[in-house]
Amino acid sequence: MAAALFLLAWSGIYNVAASTGHWAVVDWFLAFGMRNSVDLRANAITAPVLDRPDLIRLGAAHFHGGCAFCHGAPGVPVSPIARQMLPSPPHLATSMRTWTDEELFWIVQHGIKYTGMPGWVALERADEIWAVVAFLKRLPVMDANSYRELALGRVEPASQSGEALATVDSNPQDASACARCHGAADSGPASALVPILHGQPEPFLIAALEEYAQGSRRSGIMQPLAADLGAHDLQRLAAYYAKLSPRRSDNSAHSSTNERGRRLATEGDPVNGIPACEPCHGRSGLARYPRLAGQNAAYMEAQLGLWAAGHHTSTAGGAIMGPIAQRLSEADIKAVSAYFAAQAPEQVGAKP
Amino acid sequence: MIARWLCLLLPVSTSLIGGCGDHQSVLNPAGPEALQLTQLTWLLFGFGTVVLATVVLTVIGAVRGPQPVRTMLASTRMVVSAGIFFPALTLTGLLGYGIWLTRANFANPGEAGILRVVVTGEQWWWRVDYPQGGNGAFATANEIRLPVGRPILFELRSADVIHSFWVPNLAGKVDMIPGRITYARLHADRTGIFRGQCAEFCGGPHALMALEVIVMTQSDFDAWLQNQSRPAIDPQSTSAREGKALFLAAGCGACHAVRGTPASGTIGPDLTHLASRRSVGLDTATMSQASIARFISDGQHVKPGNRMPPFRIFAPDDLSAVAIYLAGLK
Amino acid sequence: MSNAHAPAGEQRSLELDRQQLERIWALPNGWRILSAVNNTVVGYFYIGAAFLFFLLAGLLALLMRTQLALPSNTFLSADTYNQIFTMHGTVMMFLFAVPAVEAMGILLLPQMLGARDLPFPRLGAFAFWAYFVGGLVFFSTLFFDLAPSGGWFMYPPLSNTRYSPDIGADFWLLGIGFIEISAIAGAIEIIVGILRTRAPGMSLDKMPMFAWTMLVFAGMIVFAFPAVILATIMLELERALGWPFFDAAKGGDALLWQHLFWFFGHPEVYIIFLPAAGMVSMIVASMAGTPLIAFNLIVVALIATGFFSFGLWVHHMFTTGLPAMSVSFFSAASMAVAIPSAVQVFAWIATFAAGRLRLATPALFVLGFLFIFTLGGLTGVMVAMVPFDWQAHDTYFIVAHLHYVLIGGMVFPLFAALYYWAPAFSSRALSERLGKWSFWLMFLGFNIAFLPMHLLGLWGMPRRVYTYPAEMGWQTLNLVASAGAFLLAAGVLVFICDLFRNLRPNLASPAGNVWGAGTLEWLENGLYGPRSIPHVESRYPLWQQPDLAKDVAAARFYLPNAPTGLRETIVTSPIEAAPQYLQRLPGPGWTPLFAAIFTAAFFMLLTVKMLLAALACAVLALACILVWVWGSDPEPLGHVQIGGGIDLPTYASGAVSHAWWAVVIVLLVAGSLYLSFVFSYLYLWTVAAQAWSLAIQSGLPSAASAYVGAGLLGLSAACVGVAGKVLARSRTGFAALVLIALLALPAALGLEVAAHWRSGLRPQASGYAALVYLAAVLQLQIVVAVVVTGAYTLTRLAMGRLSASRRVTFDTLALLSYYAAGQGMLGLLLVHGFPRAVS
Repeated sequence: MAAALFLLAWSGIYNVAASTGHWAVVDWFLAFGMRNSVDLRANAITAPVLDRPDLIRLGAAHFHGGCAFCHGAPGVPVSPIARQMLPSPPHLATSMRTWTDEELFWIVQHGIKYTGMPGWVALERADEIWAVVAFLKRLPVMDANSYRELALGRVEPASQSGEALATVDSNPQDASACARCHGAADSGPASALVPILHGQPEPFLIAALEEYAQGSRRSGIMQPLAADLGAHDLQRLAAYYAKLSPRRSDNSAHSSTNERGRRLATEGDPVNGIPACEPCHGRSGLARYPRLAGQNAAYMEAQLGLWAAGHHTSTAGGAIMGPIAQRLSEADIKAVSAYFAAQAPEQVGAKP
Repeated sequence: MIARWLCLLLPVSTSLIGGCGDHQSVLNPAGPEALQLTQLTWLLFGFGTVVLATVVLTVIGAVRGPQPVRTMLASTRMVVSAGIFFPALTLTGLLGYGIWLTRANFANPGEAGILRVVVTGEQWWWRVDYPQGGNGAFATANEIRLPVGRPILFELRSADVIHSFWVPNLAGKVDMIPGRITYARLHADRTGIFRGQCAEFCGGPHALMALEVIVMTQSDFDAWLQNQSRPAIDPQSTSAREGKALFLAAGCGACHAVRGTPASGTIGPDLTHLASRRSVGLDTATMSQASIARFISDGQHVKPGNRMPPFRIFAPDDLSAVAIYLAGLK
Repeated sequence: MSNAHAPAGEQRSLELDRQQLERIWALPNGWRILSAVNNTVVGYFYIGAAFLFFLLAGLLALLMRTQLALPSNTFLSADTYNQIFTMHGTVMMFLFAVPAVEAMGILLLPQMLGARDLPFPRLGAFAFWAYFVGGLVFFSTLFFDLAPSGGWFMYPPLSNTRYSPDIGADFWLLGIGFIEISAIAGAIEIIVGILRTRAPGMSLDKMPMFAWTMLVFAGMIVFAFPAVILATIMLELERALGWPFFDAAKGGDALLWQHLFWFFGHPEVYIIFLPAAGMVSMIVASMAGTPLIAFNLIVVALIATGFFSFGLWVHHMFTTGLPAMSVSFFSAASMAVAIPSAVQVFAWIATFAAGRLRLATPALFVLGFLFIFTLGGLTGVMVAMVPFDWQAHDTYFIVAHLHYVLIGGMVFPLFAALYYWAPAFSSRALSERLGKWSFWLMFLGFNIAFLPMHLLGLWGMPRRVYTYPAEMGWQTLNLVASAGAFLLAAGVLVFICDLFRNLRPNLASPAGNVWGAGTLEWLENGLYGPRSIPHVESRYPLWQQPDLAKDVAAARFYLPNAPTGLRETIVTSPIEAAPQYLQRLPGPGWTPLFAAIFTAAFFMLLTVKMLLAALACAVLALACILVWVWGSDPEPLGHVQIGGGIDLPTYASGAVSHAWWAVVIVLLVAGSLYLSFVFSYLYLWTVAAQAWSLAIQSGLPSAASAYVGAGLLGLSAACVGVAGKVLARSRTGFAALVLIALLALPAALGLEVAAHWRSGLRPQASGYAALVYLAAVLQLQIVVAVVVTGAYTLTRLAMGRLSASRRVTFDTLALLSYYAAGQGMLGLLLVHGFPRAVS
């Protein structure tokens, strides 16, 4: 049996052309196997509540940059190049198979063998993957306008002159602009899961982008984007956001000047080995540290949760925050995030 | 004295053994309490040797000895006298001595007029408080300085798990148990530097949880006390001033206290007079600017598992500045 | 009783009898040997498994010594070293030391006592398999970096979730918990075996010394192990559910663990030592060729050691700041216990003097034991002196002391015993030449390894340190000690070679009495034990009853055949060994093996929090146990002839039944567990009395609920009592009464828990609250046992296997019910009465 297979491969008789497609029975068999494999593994997963605007926006923004090339979008066809892949990536806006939330999660997280569907860059970032799934659930009922509004926010693709189109190497449809998720001069982030970068110290922003680019800070959304930036672009981006006026979180439901949060922020909890947050994250902290006043509570909760679970503790910041976050209880995390979200931010600006 | 004699008498030469390790040794007492314990040790060793030798000789006699000896040994009477009467007599004597010595050495927490030092065991360092400092109470860490010739009462606590306070040259060990306060009373009758070590397994780098007790003359001690209770020295050079600003901006004050500055954290050791101590890095390296810098940026390799995270966020110049500042906190 | 030469017809019937015995006692062949329950087979497996764990833990020790050979060594990281030293201690103490001596008991006792097997063969098989499977799973945690790392005595707060968040501590707690259950099962078998199945005529004063030590050993297990079982239950509840028994901030106390653990831990070392001393006594007598001098005095010394050892535990806590009076008392007790040991040592020396010691390998190991153990005992006297202990505690001095007494006091005697008894269970004796090599390598290696540690401790080296700095001056002695450890290992290796070359397990025709010893295990034994069960008239039957061996082989004594056609042994009275009835024993079966596997799986799945799977395994384990138990309690068959003109009943119920004795021992264990709980309750009150007064203020449930609960408990006990009387007359009446009892017991428990819950008390709130609910947990355990036994009893009634004349099952239920009611009432009195009394 093994000899026969070897002979088959060695002789070259079997045609591996993607252009000719599979035989129908092979196609059916592969799809059958794939569905059952995904179904089995999805049983071990439990989906959280996905009907949250923050999640959907984050997922939409990533989808536009990371998925739409192959899978198209409402009003955007699958790229002709991608269409020639075998199997051809489905145009998810119009022909997505009925998957459960858990199955979608698994597919986005792990990708699928023998196709071009990749696995998630940072496998442990389940939070990001659920954002994509939340978006995918909404996708079938979206039209082109509602999609553009979600995915691009207020970002307009640049309309270039003929000469620029001809000679400048950039894709106007690409719109990988940071503002889609992080906002820009006149708007904050579309999703509360996305951090407000406005007015953060420049060294901090640079360090964060460098860590994403090197992969020591893991995110399926940020890593590909940061890796694409050259060193100059990275610094210019950081300088841009550092100069913007600081914004306060839009999401007032999660902000509150609660007593517990205040105490943790200003005095810490010495009995449990938790230092106060203010000396590092307050206005007189090092420029290497982020400012927390006015930051999105949901984002801070997610970050603290990641450190508490032992993720990205190998970055310089994570090495310090990891042990601290592990000593915080879930209630502590909620309280201190809500506290900071309610504080008024102050301009720090460029490197001191 | 006797200890050194016996070290020389041992079949292995002193040079091989490496100086008998006498700065953390039961056999090198530096105070009257420790001396009593050392004398007890020698007494017990002597007793044990005599009994063991007797048993060995008896066995040889029973197996290979001449008939009259064997007949004498082969009797219930021998069993009763050697197995019941002899031990009962000798052990009762020893016990009496032991009980007397126990009562004599028990610390009385209410004793008036005695110098009190509060030591709290933490994972994996020693928090030392002097409530009766020269100009008020102050805190230090990992190093205890005492005046020679005066009795000291240690109040022992624990912040987390069970530790044990042990400085063999000066006294027996006393456990530090969370939720309780225990006491040790000792005094040193000569100056010197004595090493102690945590003697109850407390996880992780328990093996590296050492401390030093430095016994000084009364006048030196008074001077030291005065100095320690003052707030921190202001930085003298530009780099030291830079270092102080960086120290505060980096949030070090959230865990460490430097009296006289905004830094007032109580989670880690007090650094007000860090540079006056002999060691740094939680007592694993001698005090120097380089050791300080190394501990800040790479502490997990110096004392793996310790609670201070490595601070790799400093540029090399900034790290030196911080280290220069800290090395100036005498 | 010797006859004249038997006529031919009689000879043929004797031969048929022998063939019948061989058939009945035959072992299953091939891999089916795993279902065997003969004590010799189970004993062999047991000692093999224990020896395997000895080697594994010994390898861990070599890793530790390699790390410590050089200062600031990086061979092992701190965390790995901490796991390794924890596992070394835990495996040696729980998976090697106690099982090894228990194994020797299971292997030797029936033959030594003239019985055909132990009284509960399947229980013994279960105990072995549970230990083996659980032990292997526990050891394998090392390979997944999941081993515990809190030291073998796991002190909280280090071992609670905050400071040991990983699962290793849970593996330790649950793994050790059920290995203890295995030890208790073995202890039950040994006690009943020693007291009730001795050969007729072997009154207590004629019983061999090894049996005496095993009796004391098993009795100590019954009273010591429950303390650590309770402690492990409490720590696991604290870790898993946050019940703060040991958390000082919430009214618990870290020292409570130390008290419970060492109340077990100190008797544990005597549990390990006494059987070894018993083996030494047997070997000394044979090697010197003369009876043991001062035999009765040694027995008194044994029992005294057993008693005293329960009064010493605080000597592990001399440095915790306890008052001078308490520590002095325990210091006195610790020194006093040296006296019985000294009696034994000098009695052995006297025996040497009385006879002619042959310096064969067993004798060499005994001499090595004498030197090492005496030295260890003397350092023990040293540390019993409180001020000296203040310096020596938790240093390498203690490491030296404990290895001298444990390796000297148990390992050397074990090796002596293996060399000595091998000819009784192997067709070849072990080699004298290799034995001598093994001995000298081990003796020299051991002393080179551990003698320097005394000095290291006094030079300030604490224990449980993964490294030390070079400037301390400790490196030379550490290097020497490491070299010695490897020399010791070489000696063990030589022994293993000897085993491979010479040990040929053979239970049907072993090498025989090469030493010319005097006790019954040296009779010509087949798989069925002796050809006939002798009438014993002396302490050394083979020496003092000259024709005994011949007469036994010629089937002139009791039970030369199998009157019921099944495996049998004679049950005799505890003191005089007068025959009372003939017990039928089970043959091979798979249920003990599977019950053990499912029980082990239950505990391990519980550790990894796979609750549904764990529950499934628990149900399966229970099913296996019920199937196994269903086959016991066979129908009475009237009287049979066992020879010598004696006829015996084939069934006994009531206090003379061996099953009744087993249940009583189980209840002693349960009682000790509960008394440990009572101690914990009263102890925490002394530490955190404010919680008790708070309880009164914030609402202890009304006394009425306690009275109703007590009433229900009394009702349950009364119904069972009356049911016993009614059994002969009315089956429905019996069933109804039993049913009422089975409903009343859980109702009382439910009432108690509901009353506390409604009063707002939650177990996580304080140490006091946790203890109140712990009483309910302990009551739940016994109530479940009663309900299951009750349902089982009613099933047997329905199937016609229970009647007035066949009532052992009901007697068991009755004992359990009375105990459950009593324990419940004590609990109510404590929980409802004590706070009211002290407020």
